Amino acid sequence: MSNFRLALLLVVLSMTGAMAQTASIWDGVYSDAQADRGSSGFAGHCASCHGANLAGTGEAPALAGPHFLSDFDGLSVGDLFDRIRTTMPQDNPGSLTRDQLADILAFLLKANGLPSGAKELDRRSEYLKAIGFSASNPHP
Amino acid sequence: MIGGWAMKLRLCTGAALAVLISACPAGAQNVDWTSYTGDITGSRYKPLDQINAANFSKLEVAWRFKTDNIGNRPEYKLEGTPLQVGGVVYATAGSRRAVIALDAVTGELLWVHGEKEGARGAAAPRQLSGRGPAYWSDGKEARILYVTPGYQLIALDAKTGQRISSFGDHGAVDLKADSDQTIKPNLASGEIGWQSAPTVVGDKILVGSAFREGFTPTTADNNKGTARAYDVRTGRKIWEFHTIPRKGEFGYDTWLNGSAEHTGNTGVWTEMTADPDAGLVYLPVESPTSDFYGGTRPGNNLYGNSLVAVDINTGKVKWFYQFIHHEIWDYDMSSAPLLMDITVNGKPVKAVVEPSKMGFLYVFDRITGRPVWPIPEKKVPKGDVPGEWYAPTQPIPSRPAPYARTGVAESDLIDFTPDLHQKALAVTKNYKIGPIYTPPVVSKAGGPLATLGLGPANGGTNWPGGSFNPQNHTVYTYACNSCLLAMGLVPPPQGMSDLPYVIGQAGQQVVMINAAGADQGADAPLVKRAPARAGGGGRLTVDGLPLIKPPYGTISAINLDTGTIEWQVAHGETPDYVRNHPALKGMALPRTGQTGFNIGTLLTKDLVIAGDADVTTTPEHPRGAMLRAYDQKTGKEVGNVLMPAGQSGSPMTYMVGGKQYIIVAVSGGNYSGEYICYTLPNE
Repeated sequence: MSNFRLALLLVVLSMTGAMAQTASIWDGVYSDAQADRGSSGFAGHCASCHGANLAGTGEAPALAGPHFLSDFDGLSVGDLFDRIRTTMPQDNPGSLTRDQLADILAFLLKANGLPSGAKELDRRSEYLKAIGFSASNPHP
Repeated sequence: MIGGWAMKLRLCTGAALAVLISACPAGAQNVDWTSYTGDITGSRYKPLDQINAANFSKLEVAWRFKTDNIGNRPEYKLEGTPLQVGGVVYATAGSRRAVIALDAVTGELLWVHGEKEGARGAAAPRQLSGRGPAYWSDGKEARILYVTPGYQLIALDAKTGQRISSFGDHGAVDLKADSDQTIKPNLASGEIGWQSAPTVVGDKILVGSAFREGFTPTTADNNKGTARAYDVRTGRKIWEFHTIPRKGEFGYDTWLNGSAEHTGNTGVWTEMTADPDAGLVYLPVESPTSDFYGGTRPGNNLYGNSLVAVDINTGKVKWFYQFIHHEIWDYDMSSAPLLMDITVNGKPVKAVVEPSKMGFLYVFDRITGRPVWPIPEKKVPKGDVPGEWYAPTQPIPSRPAPYARTGVAESDLIDFTPDLHQKALAVTKNYKIGPIYTPPVVSKAGGPLATLGLGPANGGTNWPGGSFNPQNHTVYTYACNSCLLAMGLVPPPQGMSDLPYVIGQAGQQVVMINAAGADQGADAPLVKRAPARAGGGGRLTVDGLPLIKPPYGTISAINLDTGTIEWQVAHGETPDYVRNHPALKGMALPRTGQTGFNIGTLLTKDLVIAGDADVTTTPEHPRGAMLRAYDQKTGKEVGNVLMPAGQSGSPMTYMVGGKQYIIVAVSGGNYSGEYICYTLPNE
């Protein structure tokens, strides 16, 4: 394989490979103000199925607690964001803006006892993919 | 106007078959999977052993089919089991519930057929991809039949995916219009549908009925359940069985105060099986309206929660058995009846065997309906919900022993540590607990908040049903052993329901609980839900761990010559949130299994095959869910392969061109529906 081809391959691999995760949900990746905004968004768009206490109803799963954290363990915040963005609310997917979704996601993180910080969650999936979703604190 | 659409790719079935046949090694025998359970006896069994204990872990992906674009939104609840006949795989798929035909070796799409049903599809009580299609052939032509979300029976040419114009009305039968009852309030929005796969018996096709979830029904005066047989050639109705008897029919008087007139539901929502030699079709019938409150329907309520054997030609009842009198637990009858030939005390018995959400396995002579082992009526607790009618006794099988937990006792609570057990006792003191058939209670803020049940609504064994090996006369079935349900009743908020009570909890907002797939199908409307009220209640966990102790889910092998459980294993990797829990640090936990109710088993010559419901990440494997193989004799796990998501539809197997394949449906979490086909590497 020529050097040029090797270089090209490396470039392609770096473009298609998983984005390196530089932060985790345990690093204070949302702000309290954002979670507060997300609280009302959750009540208006999510709680009728997932329950006001996030415990789930019927077929709608709980969105707080270790089972929920386990379901997304090893993925990224971007993966969860896109799952919500493309399919929720179930009866009207695509009806919420990215800003509204980021706020609701911040509320979910807070409801799961994850620490807040100074910055807000980004509204872009690509940036959220850099935040690792791990069920347990990697730096306890 | 209900429009149809179909697409046929240029590589037709015939061409694909010709390639396959020429590539087929001499002497290799193809083995088909011709109906949802593999055959019309419910077995889920094929005596293949190319994939076996020695090589199962070497399985690799032959092909995969993502269902995202079969409909206008992806689906995360793919429950289908495909068919495979003559080198072609047929399955239902996607939020449109289209039928797809795939090359069985490569997975290439041969054709796809879906129906745009507009408002009727949008109102369907059971949406999404459903469990699968049915196949019929007389040796000259072949048809694929399926029921749409909007409750139409569609007949397609198996080669092209085009409607059979001579069947019904241009290939479709309107199952709402062609019913003995008038569907209320109209054909478009009237609540009745079906998500299961039809059963083909000779030249007849059997279809059932299902409704919205019965936790919070809007009315006691609902449409009624039905099961029907149609002529597979013409689409003409041959018979219709009324699961709620009409005036003058046997069983009408088991509905006191004339309640048979108004009560609905009582569908046949799961799979039906048939014995053509005996001329009998076996119908598992679910609960009447509503699932947890029956004060509007006093009496034993035949044929609710019964197994009904009807004449295959007339639909007339030959025998029936009611498993639960006056049901108020949402146990339904969830599983395809298993038609097994067994030998009890040296005598051959043509048996029908019914797995259940209750964790009991009921065994009858399938010709006479007589229990093979006694099922005595036993006194059960009486409740005190105002207006409710209680049956004083319920039948409890004496043999086999229950294969899942049947009630809630303090000894069922988490006991990893004394501290966790004490905390569990503190949680349960706000609830009523007791043996099976302890009735629901009116929820009170000061307690009890609800009756706790293991099995109500979820099982035990739910819709995937069981499986059996006709050679060794053994049933292999999955059961949830920790599916806990709080059965509290509250008056519905104004405008929700005309029933005096629906499921809910004092102090919490009462929310409408929807059926699986409701408002998620491709035709579903964009509707605004009312905002939820702030507030909340307790969860049925202890420090984030399940209130109930392991095993959370099991697979059991039950020999029906003797009526004994031969082995039982925890099925499913220990969940991450249990294995990594700080309170359990340093403890050596045996595999716990997982809490799920969507697991069906596949049997090959020597293996039981089933996947995990949930994904896990362990030191031994990256994030994923295992498809596992167990030795049928011992229950020992003999191999596994990593899947990208949990099993959501039951696996099936077939042999084409000298190779054995296994297809399983996976979906859930952030992973949308996908059929994955496994085979052994070419070596």
